Amino acid sequence: MESLGINYRAIGPELVLTVTGVLVMLLEAFSPGKKVRDGILAAAGIVLAGVAALALWEEGPVTAFSRMVIVDGFRVFFTLVILLGTLLTIFVSWGFLDEERIPPGEYFALLLFGAVGMTLLVAGNDLMILFLALETITIATYVLAGYRREDLRSTESALKYFLLGAFSSAFLLYGIALLYGATRTTNLAEMARVVSGPLGQAEIVLLMAGAAMLLIGFGFKVTTVPFHVWTPDVYEGAPTPVTAFLSTAPKAAGFAAFLRVFSLTFPPLGIESAADQLASHWVAAVTAMSILSMTFGNFIAIAQTNIKRMLAYSSIAHAGYVLIGVLARDWAAVAFYMLVYTIMNLGCFAIVALWARRGDERVLIAEYAGLGFRQPLLSFPLAIFLVSLAGFPGTAGFVAKFWLFKSAWGAGFPELVIIGVLMTVVSVYYYLYVVIVMFFREPKEEVPRVPLSRAFVAAMVVALVGVFYLGLLPTRVFAVLNTAQNLLAIGQR
Amino acid sequence: MTTIPISWYLAVAAVLFTIGAVTVFVKRNALVMLLGIELMLNAANLTAVTFSSYFRELAGQILVFFVMVVAAAEAAVGLAIIVLLFRHRETLNVDEAQLLKL
Repeated sequence: MESLGINYRAIGPELVLTVTGVLVMLLEAFSPGKKVRDGILAAAGIVLAGVAALALWEEGPVTAFSRMVIVDGFRVFFTLVILLGTLLTIFVSWGFLDEERIPPGEYFALLLFGAVGMTLLVAGNDLMILFLALETITIATYVLAGYRREDLRSTESALKYFLLGAFSSAFLLYGIALLYGATRTTNLAEMARVVSGPLGQAEIVLLMAGAAMLLIGFGFKVTTVPFHVWTPDVYEGAPTPVTAFLSTAPKAAGFAAFLRVFSLTFPPLGIESAADQLASHWVAAVTAMSILSMTFGNFIAIAQTNIKRMLAYSSIAHAGYVLIGVLARDWAAVAFYMLVYTIMNLGCFAIVALWARRGDERVLIAEYAGLGFRQPLLSFPLAIFLVSLAGFPGTAGFVAKFWLFKSAWGAGFPELVIIGVLMTVVSVYYYLYVVIVMFFREPKEEVPRVPLSRAFVAAMVVALVGVFYLGLLPTRVFAVLNTAQNLLAIGQR
Repeated sequence: MTTIPISWYLAVAAVLFTIGAVTVFVKRNALVMLLGIELMLNAANLTAVTFSSYFRELAGQILVFFVMVVAAAEAAVGLAIIVLLFRHRETLNVDEAQLLKL
């Protein structure tokens, strides 16, 4: 009999996060309303989870818990990206929690539980774990999206997110059931072994249908066209710090799962096999999704007047770029892109959240007029993050796009790279438009000064350092990722 | 006694899933949409159980247990959101929830 493989180190980050989450929730129950205490505890939990994740770095690809959980560089790196995103979200939420008079303990606990789901999603080596982790994320984030209970927009956003999220989960689950029928297993490593050989006619049909359903489910979760309809509404209606969270960490986790299932389990093998038959189809479908996401996302973003909606469409467009990396099957490029995207998007949303004030009132791009020289501590960082999102050289956004496109070119997707570069040029328009409004438009009314909290300044410093460090000196992170990639490739053989 | 072939179970599950999906698309009442989603989840469960008993293997049935728990948790959160919206709006029609344009 196979050993159970109980290894608590292998789920160290998840354990730390869960314990911290429960602790924060209990503290809130016994002595409510202590934001500083709960926040520091949550942040400490995240840092500790990061340490636990780093401790797994040296371990090669090994599995634990009956091969349900895998430990490899892929998992550790994505875990760190998720933890960074969650930590920055706590900083971004600092002022917002006071203004909205929201019970802070529950909010931080939900963020932590969401993070547990995400890290587990990245660690999952079994479709069962992937489903459970995805649901953990979405149930926590449904509540977060509706957190401003008095605001109808927030409630509507939560309802839309819930209905479409649950709908997509059902597709995902049906896909898992069909794949189980096709391969007799839910374990990804086992599945990869089964599909590397030929399968019967009936199994092939089940495999195709299951993979298609899974693709729809993942398509929803990582907001790619044509499964993106919920994104702008949810991003607009949710409280801005929550939008910041939704657009970064869960997406990084979603792409990790996407890569794990499609790029690593069903790769085009180039030999007569079920995986090869399937790969020709999923590659075509993902190519279409990528092109549609890039074009729709960027062109519709131009027409937006609300900055949160604009960033939502920009997020769809970025999902399109990342799909190129999924197609190129270069997980390191995708991981780096998600790291950079998490940093610059959270930086952007930190300023949007601060400027929006209580009740998310000031969210129109026109309302940024005159911000430029009157409050340079807000306008200059925002300009830098927007320029980085557009992918200007010298910023992290450029390096991330460059690596992604380079690896896709090498993997034989030149047409996608050309479309991606063209769409990047289109995106410059709407990112720079905000900068122009900030610096060169005269405001209609007097521009108020917004006080900056220490947590906000901390988030800004981390994000700015991240954007320039990864933009100017990315070689160290590259080296780390390449090593992990090589180790994983050896382990798979 | 003849046994029912596996394809029948799968067909029932597929039909249930389709009914659920169509319900979500055509109905505009948030509660009924939730009902449709539950139907889809149960169709997936039926598929998993069918394969599990066909293969004489347990993974599919374990999956179903997890799904049942998840569906209950999801329904709890979903109903809370729906009640909250009803307090604001006094209606469950999702078409009237259009403060955020689709």
